[in-house]
Amino acid sequence: MKIGSLKWLFGKNSEFWPTNMKTGMWAWVGHRLTGLALVAYVFLHLSFLSTASVGSGDFDSLMEVTSQPLFVAMDFLLVIVVIYHAMNGARVIMFDLGFGIRHQKLVFWICMAVAAVLIVGGLWAIWDLVFVPAGGA
Amino acid sequence: MTEERIATTKVAGTWAWFFQRLSAVLLVILLGIHLYVAHFMDVGSHTGDEALITFEDVSIRLDQLIYIAVDYSMLAMVLLHGLNGFRTVLFDFDMFAKRKKVVDRGLWVLGIGTLLWGIVILFPFLSGG
Ligand code: HEM
Repeated sequence: MKIGSLKWLFGKNSEFWPTNMKTGMWAWVGHRLTGLALVAYVFLHLSFLSTASVGSGDFDSLMEVTSQPLFVAMDFLLVIVVIYHAMNGARVIMFDLGFGIRHQKLVFWICMAVAAVLIVGGLWAIWDLVFVPAGGA
Repeated sequence: MTEERIATTKVAGTWAWFFQRLSAVLLVILLGIHLYVAHFMDVGSHTGDEALITFEDVSIRLDQLIYIAVDYSMLAMVLLHGLNGFRTVLFDFDMFAKRKKVVDRGLWVLGIGTLLWGIVILFPFLSGG
């Protein structure tokens, strides 16, 4: 594919240029990006688990690293990505079933409100793991 | 370029559409269980470090058949949903939409290959507990 032909994707007149996008488009772009990120994560996740095939010690030393606050914080990013994707996915399925499509914007913001609540719940669940030193709680 | 793009729904097909929704609903349930197990059942509790997951923790959990079933079905659903979704994205590009058969075969090989790999990955945990 020629670089020039990517103008429809990145150009100022493209439907994806930020100021050209409305709520529904943002929702879709977000859904697609989070979906792709999750696919990448599945492969990363499997490769981490596969260290156990080398030896239980290898797995445990990798888990020592991933239990550090920085990695738990990255886990939280994953939680945000999954919750956004799942809540917007629920919205898409709802429309397919014939509910709410006339109010797609409102439904989007309701889904995002639920997502926000779930994300705060997730933050609460991992708070100690990120901000309280191990063994100190 | 934009005008040349082929409608995705036509390329991807109705079954792909249906399974994307079915797997999505199942994933919500499976992910719910997965997150509950990982964060609220204190898998790492026996080391006193909640964030730390050890080989032993996983082995103990996987002594129960139900968790093996949950893990494997989640893997199957995530691959079905993730790769089927990826297929939709690919078909939005002419380059791939024109080569539907090649893309489909490639994704089946990748999906089944990854599923088998993922099944084998858990074996050390199953025999080591
Ligand atoms: C938590 C449960 C999930 C729900 C409810 C969900 C829902 C959905 C739905 C309804 C679609 C179709 C969107 C459309 O046709 O416009 C979709 C697409 C997609 N999903 Fe998910 N999903 C979930 C989890 C995942 C996971 C774990 C992955 C990664 C492995 C993933 C990757 C994708 C991809 C790559 C697409 C295609 C995006 C696109 O066509 O733009 N999803 N999801």
